[in-house]
Amino acid sequence: RTPALFYAQRTPRRPRPPACLLFARAGGRRLPLRSKVEMVGLASEDPLIHDEVDMDDVDSDVEESDSEDDSGEEAQLTPSDKAIYNREAILEKLEDIAWPQKVDWMHKLTIDHDQGEKIDVNDDLARELAFYTQALDGTREAFEKLQSMKVRFLRPTDYYAEMVKTDAHMHKIKGRLLSEKKKIEEAEERKKAREARKRAKEVQAEKKKERAKQKKEEIENVKKWRKQRQQGGFAKGNDDGPDLNFEGEDGFKQSKKTRPGVSPGDRSGGLAKRGKEGKNRRSRDAKFGYGGRKGLKKQNTAETTNDFRSFNKGAESQNKKRKRS
Amino acid sequence: MAKKRKRAADAAAEAGAAEKPDDSAPARPERTLFGFKEPPAPAPDAEPASAAVSPAAPLFRNKEKVLVTCSRRITFRYRHLMQDMVSLLPHAKKDSKVESKQSKGAALNELVELRNCSSCLFFECRKQKDLYLWMVKSPGGPSVKFLVNAVHTMEELKLTGNHLKGSRPLLTFSTNFDEQPHWKLVKEMLTQVFATPKDHRKAKPFHDHVFVFSIVDGHVWFRNYQISVPHNEIDKVDKGGLDKMTLIEVGPRFCLNPIKIFAGSFGGPTLYENPYYISPNQIRALEKRKKAGKYAKKVKAKVRRKMHEMENTLEPDEFADMWKGED
Repeated sequence: RTPALFYAQRTPRRPRPPACLLFARAGGRRLPLRSKVEMVGLASEDPLIHDEVDMDDVDSDVEESDSEDDSGEEAQLTPSDKAIYNREAILEKLEDIAWPQKVDWMHKLTIDHDQGEKIDVNDDLARELAFYTQALDGTREAFEKLQSMKVRFLRPTDYYAEMVKTDAHMHKIKGRLLSEKKKIEEAEERKKAREARKRAKEVQAEKKKERAKQKKEEIENVKKWRKQRQQGGFAKGNDDGPDLNFEGEDGFKQSKKTRPGVSPGDRSGGLAKRGKEGKNRRSRDAKFGYGGRKGLKKQNTAETTNDFRSFNKGAESQNKKRKRS
Repeated sequence: MAKKRKRAADAAAEAGAAEKPDDSAPARPERTLFGFKEPPAPAPDAEPASAAVSPAAPLFRNKEKVLVTCSRRITFRYRHLMQDMVSLLPHAKKDSKVESKQSKGAALNELVELRNCSSCLFFECRKQKDLYLWMVKSPGGPSVKFLVNAVHTMEELKLTGNHLKGSRPLLTFSTNFDEQPHWKLVKEMLTQVFATPKDHRKAKPFHDHVFVFSIVDGHVWFRNYQISVPHNEIDKVDKGGLDKMTLIEVGPRFCLNPIKIFAGSFGGPTLYENPYYISPNQIRALEKRKKAGKYAKKVKAKVRRKMHEMENTLEPDEFADMWKGED
């Protein structure tokens, strides 16, 4: 079962798994990882006065770029061998602060999970998958333990208490998910309609051919019958009409085609075009009102009396006496 | 809640060689979040956790309290991260911003003592771009300084999970925490800070979310997932339900890059330095320097080309004068 996963791939779109949440990094930039540094002279003794202070003046304007590919590698410095690593002291401190060994698991609730092989940090999907499997396996183990301890650990559905995200926030999330789903569905529908339209053209051509053939056949039939009658000397009493196959396979069918989108009051039969901006114009009209007819404004006003902007510009320069045809 | 003290007293009494005074009034039924619970039967099977494992081991009570503060000039994203942390940890106390110039360590240590906390999470934002997280155990404990990257807060609409506020989390660590001593120390500190104490006032009873701490590429990655598993009863998963369990991410998510570990709180002798750490300032400086060299390099290249041309002159072209006479 595919887990819910995050982080869009840097490659452009690919078909998304259904319950999947993919998203691009939003502002959380990561600084390059495997960068090495020469710590000599940079590590100051007092950890609180930062060793970054002397670099302050250099980068006041530079935007911090997403330097995942670590473009500063030309000035690569070796990892310092002088980095302090005082193992014994660390282990001592660990002893100092650690909780007693025999502490009941219920206090700690920790599970250890083996990561397996090395995870590529830059492959977002693989990394998130690794975290997901770690959580899943850990939870399974924990739940088995809790179940065996007969502890009440599952939240009943009617337990109402404060959640970590407010209801309003969850409402927003829901709205967003729904609109995404709608967008996907609409895109699918549009695609299908496009395909159908392509097919429809072919189907129509075929139908036309069929009809032409039928027509020809019927005319042939009538001609044949006439010939027969002629040969038979127009004998009376033999008056069956040409076999026009009225009650044939299809019978006489009324066209069942409905014309969707054509209102009964539309005298053009749905053929009159509504213009380029169909959907947009209609929705705007619905929202802001129709706009009214163009000609309801006054035409001769004080401003327009002396306004000759719209008149023929080139005409004044020529001789007015010249007759213009 | 009164039940806490009572339980501890009972447990202590039991642990102390079963000298239960029976002449006292019958104990009131314990009030728990699930309702009233009958006083424990003589066999101590109703006291799973706080009873001593063996009669000799002392009673363990997790009295961890975390102080969460930040520096001034912190940006909205990091402030929201801090608020998310406060809501995730019911045993955390939020304090006002710390004005920091010099002697920050002393001020913070005092603050932690004042608020009676046993550890501290201090979010320090520098230049409104970089966030450093100090994780400190208070009285003389070790402290770790991290650089925080890749922050996504709970506000993001793509993180759709939700869980009970104050419920105790399950913590999962990857096994590479046990490989090296400094990671072991970090793991212990993370456990103590992030694990909600069992009998804390604000702790809620169920376990419906899980934290993931995992070391990838020398960084500690944090994720928080909501557990959704089909169940009808509260102490038992449905048959086959464990296979149908899904996790939905709640957030926040961040990535910690350890810089240094100190022996004291907010200072002291350095126990560990990360050899692979470059400060973000240096990275920016390197980038800028690289860009700055572009023009100089171009000029140099031009000069080089000119020298090269002067040294190896071309022979005169036989067709050079072909079109000369024409207009």
